[in-house]
Amino acid sequence: MSRSVWKGPFVDAYVLKKAEASRESGRNEVIKIWSRRSTILPQFVGLTFGVYNGQKHIPVNVSEDMIGQKFGEYAPTRTYYGHAADKKAKRK
Amino acid sequence: MSARVCVGAIAGAFGVQGEVRLKSFTADPQAIEDYAPLETEDGARSFEVQITRAIKQGFAARLSNVRSKEDADALKGMRLYAPRDRLPSLPDDEFYHADLIGLAVFDTGGAEIGKVHAVQNHGADDLLELKLPGHSATVLLPFTLAAVPTVDLTAGRIVIDPPEGTLPE
Repeated sequence: MSRSVWKGPFVDAYVLKKAEASRESGRNEVIKIWSRRSTILPQFVGLTFGVYNGQKHIPVNVSEDMIGQKFGEYAPTRTYYGHAADKKAKRK
Repeated sequence: MSARVCVGAIAGAFGVQGEVRLKSFTADPQAIEDYAPLETEDGARSFEVQITRAIKQGFAARLSNVRSKEDADALKGMRLYAPRDRLPSLPDDEFYHADLIGLAVFDTGGAEIGKVHAVQNHGADDLLELKLPGHSATVLLPFTLAAVPTVDLTAGRIVIDPPEGTLPE
């Protein structure tokens, strides 16, 4: 069953505070968070969060198409390296 | 930059008519056929590849000069390599993982920090995993213009301007 709409999206309060503080300071920093369960809100777009995966903080640069997802979806707890072969990386 | 990239491996024979089980490591698995002829690790043998069908965990394929099940069985575990220059050229700001891995990492002051260990993507931006000397843990850095302003493949180096709190003290 999905979450009731009247409650609004769930976000841990400290994540909101840290994001707001970072935006006000205007510094280029990774906002370290442990809350993988928090929903990504529109006001987080453009910020970089370090989402804890149980071992380290994975940098997640929030973009518009990530709104509504949870932070934990972008910080997997298991790493599979695979082979480089012809895989490409794009610098944005 | 390495001269060859590993694009697949042979998992054994498929059937009794000399076909092999082919594991593809390419982004589009079927594209392994486009990089043929593929060489073995020591470069002693090379094979043309013809994929015959998709099977569980890979493809059934026919390799040139492999006619029997015994020939195919003998190739089990062999990795297949393609020359790096056979990969198509990419637009600006797009790089092959194989080219990025192993590059020396410098900070904006010109001091060497470490090496690129791997490239990852978990659904957001691409991430460079950096190995720093003297640290057992690796560091992840977003592969963005702000964090990685310079990528010089010919010189084998990148220059990074990491966000605060990324690198250990």
